[in-house]
Amino acid sequence: MTKITIPAANISFDVGEGDTIARAAARAGLGFPYECNVGECGNCRFELLEGEVTYLRENPPAVNDRDVQRKRYLGCQALPHGECQIKVPLRDHYKSKFIPLRTKGKLVEMIDITHDIREFRFALEKPVGFLAGQYGLISVPGVNGARAYSMCNVTSSGEQWHFQIKRVPNGKATSGLFDSVKVGDSVGLDGPYGMAYLREDAPRDILCLAGGSGLSPMISISRAAAASASLQGQHIHFIYGGRAPRDICGEQMLKELQGFGSRIHYHPAISMPDDPAAAGWTGHTGFVHDIAEKLFGDKLANMEVYFAGPPPMAQAVMKMLIKAKVPATQMHFDQFY
Amino acid sequence: MAAAGEKLELCKTADVDEGSAIKVEKNGLELAVFNLNGAFYVMDDVCSHGPGSLSEGFISGDTIECDFHNGVFNIKTGEIVEPPCMIPQKTYKTFVENDKVFIET
Repeated sequence: MTKITIPAANISFDVGEGDTIARAAARAGLGFPYECNVGECGNCRFELLEGEVTYLRENPPAVNDRDVQRKRYLGCQALPHGECQIKVPLRDHYKSKFIPLRTKGKLVEMIDITHDIREFRFALEKPVGFLAGQYGLISVPGVNGARAYSMCNVTSSGEQWHFQIKRVPNGKATSGLFDSVKVGDSVGLDGPYGMAYLREDAPRDILCLAGGSGLSPMISISRAAAASASLQGQHIHFIYGGRAPRDICGEQMLKELQGFGSRIHYHPAISMPDDPAAAGWTGHTGFVHDIAEKLFGDKLANMEVYFAGPPPMAQAVMKMLIKAKVPATQMHFDQFY
Repeated sequence: MAAAGEKLELCKTADVDEGSAIKVEKNGLELAVFNLNGAFYVMDDVCSHGPGSLSEGFISGDTIECDFHNGVFNIKTGEIVEPPCMIPQKTYKTFVENDKVFIET
């Protein structure tokens, strides 16, 4: 156990063995800024005033020369060696409703969704709840470093966390998950994290945009929104994009929700309609951001928009939403770049 | 929060050196006050893109580079000059009276 002090805020918190400064701060109930938790977004930067830290992930991508010059480190990857004093602006909206916990998850079930997306269901050794749309960090045995994946289920007890994960070609973590981890095996789990959770207090129609593994958090959001008493009057539109028909999924899960077809609407889209494999396709053609713009136009500015997917998709969606004058407070996503 | 159109005193002009910026917290607002060749400009301090503090960024001409993700904004208008920031930064109507910097909120 190591003590970290933020002198400007007159706050101290403990960091457990092997834990990082930003994650330990979240466990202490503090609003330490972060987003991706894997050293890529740079939102968790802090200034080291006194003490010594090293990195969990070697050479995290978000570190730049200026950080080195100014003694700034990434909180999500920083392991303290002895007591440290740091400078960081704490902000309430980074506080976690459910305090993130380090535990283990036993794989209890696997379900293939498409040719490269599979749902992994883990039973937690120490259950912890999460908000729809949040993510957890999975440590696969034999794979260096944790990866962030969003949960697809809705749970109050937190006994099980379900993840819909797309296999990354040559990706070490997904190869480990898809090929090595068997039912009954355990992985490391840490969470919940993330700010792209369902806003039940936002009285607007909901738009979910997803591609790839982004399916998972958008399914969680849709499930929670369908069941939310305060959102009963609102429509839920779900656009899922892939290259070809074999990539398309999600409809089956939405069909199980009450209100499908009346207030819950599914809009599939493929981006390569000229491919022979797309013969007979009757859904939309194009990228999800274009489909959203075409379907909703001026109405977008009055929608609550959630999105998750590969970085180029997320960037294109955000650009489109800004052009459509959607207020930033109505856009919800976690940046992983 | 101040009512719309209200005048809010932020700091003395002497508090901000030419070519630099300071952070001022007033009425629940976190603001960056810039001094460009003796003229004062004010925008939200927290970058529209992440938790970076623009008053701690790098000023070059009329632009400020956020030192969190290297996004660049025009100090006078809040417009985006360089990505990854995509949402313009909120700026405030700023004026000086009796060597003090004010904004209209």
